[in-house]
Amino acid sequence: MSDPIVVKTVEELKSAPEEYREAIAKLVISHAINELYGAQVFDEPAIAYAPTPYAKWLTCRVAMEEYGHHVRFKQLGLQIGIPEERMMPGAGKRPLSIFEFPLKTWEEFVAIKLLADLAEILQVEDLLHCTFHPLRNLARATMPEERFHAQFGEDFSAELVKTPKGKARLQAAVNEYYPYLPSFFGGSKSKNNEIFRKWRIKQRTNDEMRQDFIKRASEVAAKYGLTLPEVRQAA
Amino acid sequence: MSQVVVLPRTLLDQVKAELRAAAWFAALGEPLTDGDRADAEGYARALGLGALVLGQASDWPEAERVLKAPDWSPIWWDREETQRRRLLVEAEARYPERALWTALTELTTELGDVVHGRAGVAAARMAGAAKASVHVAAGAAAQAAYQLALARLAEDAASPFESKFRLFAAGRWPLGVVGSTLILF
Repeated sequence: MSDPIVVKTVEELKSAPEEYREAIAKLVISHAINELYGAQVFDEPAIAYAPTPYAKWLTCRVAMEEYGHHVRFKQLGLQIGIPEERMMPGAGKRPLSIFEFPLKTWEEFVAIKLLADLAEILQVEDLLHCTFHPLRNLARATMPEERFHAQFGEDFSAELVKTPKGKARLQAAVNEYYPYLPSFFGGSKSKNNEIFRKWRIKQRTNDEMRQDFIKRASEVAAKYGLTLPEVRQAA
Repeated sequence: MSQVVVLPRTLLDQVKAELRAAAWFAALGEPLTDGDRADAEGYARALGLGALVLGQASDWPEAERVLKAPDWSPIWWDREETQRRRLLVEAEARYPERALWTALTELTTELGDVVHGRAGVAAARMAGAAKASVHVAAGAAAQAAYQLALARLAEDAASPFESKFRLFAAGRWPLGVVGSTLILF
């Protein structure tokens, strides 16, 4: 295989092959929309459920960072010529199915941070060596915040499992939300993923990422005495 | 029916300038001044919290204990939320909803890194802060900035969010109410 192209700037992207430009645009749109959905559907409502001012303001910061991720992706999208409307919910691109189940409890939010943010970490990790450097740099700027959000999930999980009632409620939340997460990585025969890897925009197949996620999610759940429900694999 | 107009850029620029000029977290643990007391009383009065004793946390571990206290009073939080929702309705009646939300999101996002950095500096100077507490402080400050911008856009000069912001601007952090005590850091 020939060396992949490396696109160091937004300006250079203009002369990149059309397939490459379209692939970058798809990824940017997907991240911009899903970061905004996540902030709107989970993070912001969670502030009301948080049990203390400490947890509320920590959740405020997390929500703000998630909105910040949306803003970063949107700004990059605008720079590469994507109309703002295509990076907002309701523009035709379907959100992930998990966003159709709005938050009802604090334990659900903790479970989402524990596991869904781990899925986000894997998605961002895969962009850390992206051949489009503005996107690679954006991923690198985002990664410490995503890790903090997952740590937030771990810290509050550790609190909740201290009592049998708290642990049971957290386990119920894990049971409810975890089944939606493996499909977060896309289909096994995804044409988009093939193109992303062809141009080294992304590094791994959807199935490789999914298996890695399942392994890491199982490890983190076990750390807090939680179990993961069986899920059907994406086709 | 209210007439919806474009966002007032001059007003938003003024808010951003005030946010940038604030002494975020610079006076944590320092003795309270008369100005701090006046702003704290003004904040409690504007929220309708009645007569409260003013207390102070002297260091980060004490602030963390206050913020995690199981007997914290949710009244101040709930009243702030009531005010915020009211102001949001008023602002949405004046300005296009999407432009308003975008402006508030961007203002808060831009400020986020600034207040996070300031909280980190304050924590490093005083020592003893849990790592997550810097994030908590940044969340509190960003919320105060959002609330201030909303109050200004809704043109509510008597809002409790004005006096709350003055406390942050003076380097303080209002931690909330525990029992009948309003506690500043």
